[in-house]
Amino acid sequence: MKRPILGAFLIAVLAWLVWQTWQIRPTRPRAAAPADSAAVGVRAVTLYFGAADGDSLVSEDRELIESANLHERVAALVSELDQGPRGRGVAVLPAGTSVLHVYLDDRGLMTLDLSGAFRQRFRGGSTAEYLALASLVRTVAADLPEVKQIRIVSAGRPLGTLGGHLPLDRPLDASEWP
Amino acid sequence: MTHAVRRRLALSGAALAVLVLALGADWRSPPPGEGPETIPVRTLDGHGYVGANDLARILDATKFWRADVRRLVLRAGNHTLIFTVDNPFVVVDESTFWLEAPVRSRNGEIQIPVALVDSLPADSSLARITFDPRRGHVVVLPATGSVGSPRVSVDGERTRVTFPATSAEAAVIVTRARDHFRLRFGGVFVGTLPDSFPPGALVRSLRPLGSAGGSAFELSVDAAAIGYRLNRDVDGRRVTLELSRVFERELESFAPQDPPGARRLRLIVIDPGHGGADDGVVAGQVAEKDLTLALARRLKVQIERRRIRVVLTRDSDYDVPANARAELANRLDADLVIGLHFDGYVNPRARGATAYCPPATFEPPSGENGTERASSRLVLLPWRDVAVRHAVQSRSLAEAMLSSLELRGLGPTRLREQLPYDLLGVDAPGILLECATLTSSADRERVTQEAGLEQLATAIAEGVAAYQRND
Repeated sequence: MKRPILGAFLIAVLAWLVWQTWQIRPTRPRAAAPADSAAVGVRAVTLYFGAADGDSLVSEDRELIESANLHERVAALVSELDQGPRGRGVAVLPAGTSVLHVYLDDRGLMTLDLSGAFRQRFRGGSTAEYLALASLVRTVAADLPEVKQIRIVSAGRPLGTLGGHLPLDRPLDASEWP
Repeated sequence: MTHAVRRRLALSGAALAVLVLALGADWRSPPPGEGPETIPVRTLDGHGYVGANDLARILDATKFWRADVRRLVLRAGNHTLIFTVDNPFVVVDESTFWLEAPVRSRNGEIQIPVALVDSLPADSSLARITFDPRRGHVVVLPATGSVGSPRVSVDGERTRVTFPATSAEAAVIVTRARDHFRLRFGGVFVGTLPDSFPPGALVRSLRPLGSAGGSAFELSVDAAAIGYRLNRDVDGRRVTLELSRVFERELESFAPQDPPGARRLRLIVIDPGHGGADDGVVAGQVAEKDLTLALARRLKVQIERRRIRVVLTRDSDYDVPANARAELANRLDADLVIGLHFDGYVNPRARGATAYCPPATFEPPSGENGTERASSRLVLLPWRDVAVRHAVQSRSLAEAMLSSLELRGLGPTRLREQLPYDLLGVDAPGILLECATLTSSADRERVTQEAGLEQLATAIAEGVAAYQRND
């Protein structure tokens, strides 16, 4: 009666030792451990909102569902900007702004086609305009380092300017928007 | 721990040590407001831990969590890190490491032994991090690199300012004006500034500037310097700015400056912003387009008292296209162009005035394959950006204007170096001036009264006079 129990115990101890050895030693080369396909990946992103006094931008870290699709990633960033900050700062994108299309060429020039709300619902002066553009450029450039320049269009049409203070006829260089 | 694992840990540690030494940077003493990002390390049962959320954020990793087996997978670039709660073994790509302490779960967040940072791959796809036990935090050296302590040396007629920089190729000159010469780097500043400069140095001051995408410095260059040259030594990981008292080949010139003494002002074009269907900012029943026109009329009277001719781009309620503004200013050969606006912001607490002036950017001509032809003296500038030619004078005007507003308590004031829409195609010094913030009730109440508007016109006219005196 005792022999089967003793045998099972020995097998269990042996199995534990084998498992420990397998864990400690670098095992034979194998493919990188795959993430669980059923699980959803999340990634930390940095969002930039306007400072309360309008002097500058303030940053806020947030976690978003990961997507390999460029359009979905940029759309998620713009959606978060549109929803506004959870901490200090104020939302500076015109309300209801969303992403229609995103194109990225091999030189890092992104064409960002925003909904008509971006142009139609803009209110304010140059500070609102400056911080809205800076918020977009800095957020996209911070989270997509391959983007070097952003050309902003709205509803599929080019924009000369958003509010009459800063030109948008040329792409905005990410390095020029601190 | 196997020999291979020990060897890898030793190599990782050595690589980090070499990295820090190569930077020549005192990253433990960054100046206030500057320096690399850090994440806190907390102690549990005598071992240091970092939060998995912090770690994922700094590694720019995607998190996958399997609750049933309490396993966290981080994917960053081409790398995969696997952690299991209560298990001291972690998998980094194809290797397994023992961390002396198990992965923990505290208050809903996975805690990872800080010893992990020595086991992370050191390649460009992953942010470089290291543990600073003295301060008790993990220091992040971003993939864009870092900039160490600048050193100023004098060699005969030349002054050299040398910046240790891991991404030397990313260094660019943002502004080439002598009084505020600006350099931008891709990496964060992790050094200290020199307390003094050697005798005969052509640098009068050097200070760091805030820059979200890296770091930037502003220098004030002595008037004796006649040119500069920027050397990017990628292999040597340093950037050297050479300033010279004597003419040399391949020297770049500073932005043109006015000679000292009073400036000649014959004609000023004033552009009352918005008009017609474009109301501009509307706040408290006040439209920006009406205020800008009212202010422009008062300003015209005040400036013309100083024997300077003033031309308004509009004298009633209609919109003036951008190309018509530029055409008028260029045809009249204006000495100055001032765009008048009133600001508006979503937060009614924001108030004050802002001036926009063109940046003193410098874009050397590029060859077909993008290589710079440093020996060429020809720079092509699109006509759209012609106002950039007058960047130094425009900045002087902006500073004089904001100073005048501040003196009368009409601030706070801000200066932004961005080419404004009003100055597209304008071949003259100029600024866009947001004279006050209409969405601020205090500012609005002031500028909608006769006395307030007159006070504003006086302040702007005084700003023009200060620019003209050039003192």
